[in-house]
Amino acid sequence: MIPVELYLMISSIVFTIGLYGLITQKNGVKLMMCIELLLNSANINLVAFSTYAPNYNGQVFALFSIALAAAEAGIGFAILIRLYRLYGTIDLDTVNAMRW
Amino acid sequence: MIWADYAYLIVLLPVLAAALCFFFGWRLPRGGGLIAVLATVIGLIISLGIFSEIYPVGIVQQSWHWFALFNFGILIDPLAIVMLLMVTFVVSLIHFYATEYMNGDPGMARYFAEAALFTAAMLGLVYSDNLLQFFVFWELVGLCSYLLIGYWYRKPSAAEAAKKAFLTTRVGDVLFLAGIVLLYNNLVNLGTNLIIQPGQYPLQFEVIYANIYQIPPIQLTFIAICLLGGAAGKSGQFPLHAWLPDAMEGPTTVSAMIHAATMVTAGVYLVARMFPLFYAAPYGLQLVTLVGAFTAIFAASMGLSAFDIKRVLAFSTVSQLGFMMAALGAGAVIGVLAVAVGIFHLICHSFFKALLFLDAGSVIHATNTNDMREMGGVLKYMKWTGWTMFIGSLSLAGFPLFTGFYSKDEILVVQYEYAMVVNYLPYVFLISAALLTAIYSFRMWFVTFTGDERSDYHKHESGWIMLGPLVVLAIFALLFGGIAIGPFYKYLDTNFDYYELDFQELAIIGGHVTPLEHVSEGASEGASEGASEGEEAAGEPFIIKILPILVGVGGILLAALFYFKRWKRFDPSMVSGDKDPLRKMLLKGYYQHEILTAWFAETVIYGASIILNIIDIKLVDGWLNWLSSWVLGFAGHMRKVQTGVVQNYVTALVLGIVILVVIVAIAAGVFL
Repeated sequence: MIPVELYLMISSIVFTIGLYGLITQKNGVKLMMCIELLLNSANINLVAFSTYAPNYNGQVFALFSIALAAAEAGIGFAILIRLYRLYGTIDLDTVNAMRW
Repeated sequence: MIWADYAYLIVLLPVLAAALCFFFGWRLPRGGGLIAVLATVIGLIISLGIFSEIYPVGIVQQSWHWFALFNFGILIDPLAIVMLLMVTFVVSLIHFYATEYMNGDPGMARYFAEAALFTAAMLGLVYSDNLLQFFVFWELVGLCSYLLIGYWYRKPSAAEAAKKAFLTTRVGDVLFLAGIVLLYNNLVNLGTNLIIQPGQYPLQFEVIYANIYQIPPIQLTFIAICLLGGAAGKSGQFPLHAWLPDAMEGPTTVSAMIHAATMVTAGVYLVARMFPLFYAAPYGLQLVTLVGAFTAIFAASMGLSAFDIKRVLAFSTVSQLGFMMAALGAGAVIGVLAVAVGIFHLICHSFFKALLFLDAGSVIHATNTNDMREMGGVLKYMKWTGWTMFIGSLSLAGFPLFTGFYSKDEILVVQYEYAMVVNYLPYVFLISAALLTAIYSFRMWFVTFTGDERSDYHKHESGWIMLGPLVVLAIFALLFGGIAIGPFYKYLDTNFDYYELDFQELAIIGGHVTPLEHVSEGASEGASEGASEGEEAAGEPFIIKILPILVGVGGILLAALFYFKRWKRFDPSMVSGDKDPLRKMLLKGYYQHEILTAWFAETVIYGASIILNIIDIKLVDGWLNWLSSWVLGFAGHMRKVQTGVVQNYVTALVLGIVILVVIVAIAAGVFL
């Protein structure tokens, strides 16, 4: 059996990649992808722990999390489309109307 | 008590009239003046009805809860009813006169709106049953006087005068308010000792009267001084008199209202209303006497040299108000009868002073000038005005058998009694003021109505609308005093019998070295007061009895010798030339303008305010400005954090979490 530490290691690698992307990237679509990475790293954790527990709660929770991610992606892309129509770009550096 | 149920209408109707005139007056003939007249006439009828119900015994009391410890109420006792009758009567005549006098003025509707509100405020003040309501109406009177004095607001001098009147009376009002607060505080501090019936409120006059003897005497004196300050502001007594002569800038009818019926009498009325408190306060009435007597001679001497016919009358008013105050002050010796003496002069004065002002208005209306030097010989063209003014002047001068004689004579008599016990100074002041009164009033009459025409003025007699009130007032100025004096004294002497007051006890608190039989007599018999008054007068030296007559008639003769062409023996320049320092001083009004405005206000106060201004700007504002600019600068840097770039926020979030984790880890001892 694969030890749980390996799952956690992969999960944290994915999380860090997502976080790095979130901080460095400017493109809105790339940001969405990074957020998906963050969510999925959490899902990996949930499923990994679930295999060591005597029930399926973690896996069911992961399913909910995926559905949530889908909804979030739908809203996120809708916002991005609106942004593109308004500014002609989805580069989030230029979309900074709400600043000082 | 059918009429008494409608007492509230006495105030409400003029208020309604004011609103009607203000909003619709410009569409109505003569600015809706008739509405104002009608409102006051109905007020007069209701007052007469109430008078018929409560004379000779009884009072009217109505009270509604207002808020917390205050009420809104009506109290009509003898003191209030005579004031109500006088105000409604005189003001009706003045309003009626004004419908002609103000005719053609573009702001006529505004005039009647303000005048009606003025009347309402005064009437409300007169029958207030508590001091707070009294103060509210008192302030309303002040506001309306400001509006009316500045009626011709485009004229700079009128705007100045209105401002001066408002600010000067404000000084008095602040003192009055301080007095009320002090009194209220003292009453509330009594706690359970406060004598109060269920349904009564602490500032009601009844409650004040009932609790006077419980207040420490030193507090009473402070309260009395504060209230006297308020009264001095409204009634133009010495330190705060400067606004009254300037108030002549308004239309003459306004002057008539302010000087005769509505405003200046409020101060005297306040002292009369709070008489028990003044009586109980050590030195309270002595102070009132001194202020009054000094004002009487001070203003009379200035009236001697004024050339503006209205200013002569204004100084005369200030002087006569001094007489009233002095009469009330004599209460230190003669007790509660002083209220009757003072208020009787107030009522009589309001008749003949309204008459004189309306006459002056009639003359000004015809000749288009205020300056007596430009008049002369007006009697030829204005017979009615001239002779009614003659009656008014005789009354003012105190010529025997005229109204003013009875009231002023009585004041001089009671002041003589005061002089016997306390000191002679007020009596000397007042008798000299009486002499001056006779001189200046007849100087005014002779210069205006007799002699040569000194300029080419317009000549015509006024219409019947203006003459009617003059004739009515002249009849009162002629006959009222002689007819009313007896019943009036008897009636007003009962004024304080309706309250829980023991004047002997109050006299002990006040430290009056009084022959107290007078007071007890008033309390027990009351009705025989008039008779005992006669006996008392018999006890005085002959010279004191005839002195008022002597100064009255002598003053008139003296004025005639100087100013009446046919009897002229002397020229004013023989007594004092134009260069004479005394004359100059009188003309300049004792250099009050120079001292108060030019020196005190413009040098001392202005200099002090410059220094204060610097302190204010550099120190107080400077510190605050420094603080606020520092905060603004800091905030200016801090807000740069809000970049609007999502990535920065995420970075900050992650950093924050990392720091938090590290802190928690350190706290939990992970790194140890």
